[in-house]
Amino acid sequence: MKRVLLVLLLLGGAWVWYERQALADFQGILSAYSAKEYCSCRFVMGFDAPYCQAYVRQYLPLSRLEENGQTREVSAAGLGVERRAVWRGVREGCGLLP
Amino acid sequence: MKKVLSGVLLGLFMNMTCAFAEEVWPLPDWSPAADINSPAWDHVQAYAFAPRDEHNREGVRTDALLVIKSGRIVYEHYAAPTTAQTPHLTWSISKSVLATVLGVANSDGRFNLKDPVARFYPPMQAHPQVRIEDLLHWASGLDWQEDYEYAPLHSSVVAMLYTRGRADMAAYTAARPAANAPGQRFLYSSGDSNLLAAALRTMVGPERYPQYPWEALFTPLGITSAVWERDVSGTLVGSSYLYMSARDLARVGLLMLRDGRWQSQQLLPKEWVLFNRSLFSKAVSQPGEANPGGQWWLNRPLPGGEQPWPDAPQDTFAALGHWGQALYVLPEEQLVVVRYADDRDGHFEHNELLKRVLAAQAGGRP
Repeated sequence: MKRVLLVLLLLGGAWVWYERQALADFQGILSAYSAKEYCSCRFVMGFDAPYCQAYVRQYLPLSRLEENGQTREVSAAGLGVERRAVWRGVREGCGLLP
Repeated sequence: MKKVLSGVLLGLFMNMTCAFAEEVWPLPDWSPAADINSPAWDHVQAYAFAPRDEHNREGVRTDALLVIKSGRIVYEHYAAPTTAQTPHLTWSISKSVLATVLGVANSDGRFNLKDPVARFYPPMQAHPQVRIEDLLHWASGLDWQEDYEYAPLHSSVVAMLYTRGRADMAAYTAARPAANAPGQRFLYSSGDSNLLAAALRTMVGPERYPQYPWEALFTPLGITSAVWERDVSGTLVGSSYLYMSARDLARVGLLMLRDGRWQSQQLLPKEWVLFNRSLFSKAVSQPGEANPGGQWWLNRPLPGGEQPWPDAPQDTFAALGHWGQALYVLPEEQLVVVRYADDRDGHFEHNELLKRVLAAQAGGRP
């Protein structure tokens, strides 16, 4: 029984190592997606905040989603990562901050 | 003799003015047909605007549906909060509009389809055999995984838009390894479209580039609502992030319906539109999926395959985007259809919508 567990653990560890890049990236998808698409929903398409919150909702919850109406900046946090997007102009719309 | 000649010329002139007078253009705005939104459209409305499930987000969830027949609005409806003024996200319809912008650059002699991409975008020197034509066919041969929700761990498009690629989407794509020889295999890739967006910068020059889609296409067509987002490096996100109102997108449809001509101006070479509407012969038929042309989607069947949308005419072509965005052009019927949506599952069917649209507009035909 112990041996089976050990093999499973080793396999799991190997998988995590093999996928380390993809897993590290995965952490940042939720907050980047939410910040960018919420910014565009609000400041490009011009929809209201409750609609846009529902629009970006995913299976995994965000820990924070905030907008600054004056600077038209959006900050989203989830899975321990924070990302920000900002509205850049009437033709340029929104973009993620580096 | 002179009299005869002037008579013939006068006759020709009268004919020409008649031909132009018959054509209706959205100048300055679209005009409605006499029987706009008649009861003939009830079955279209019932399908497109079924009661919405906001909690589970299931089923067909149309935000906007606009049908233009011979240059006039025959049907138009919006679901709140989308309105006739909303610059709605078009997702991958952006790709076909980018191709249309490239068509204007092509008519100005700024590139040829057979040119290597590396001539306009140096990072592609890693893949010197890839030509502009291959990118337009989504056949760069570069390795790519185009999945959004179902494979986020290995999705190239998600990595390009939101993580490793977001600062410079074209550079991210050019750094992908080759999986196939260029021009040999269709592999739908948003990366290929963003390489085109990056190549456009060199074609038209870095100063003109930021305003080029407006100068070349939007302003001549009277499009005022367009927004086109860029990545951190300033490259247009040609794959995904164009926004405009349904009425403005229909202008692109009308331009394509009329073979690249806007009123008396041939904005796109006719050969360019022909290229957009020609099948990429090396593509393989996928049941129910439209077939790839030159950065547009075709209803024409591939050899040995079925017609993707059996109830629509074979010459139907379209620009299609994530979550149900669509711009359909039906030349035989003189129809342009814009659909904006927020479909979060696979319930919506292009064929079903087009079938109902065709039935509705046939009802009003003399």
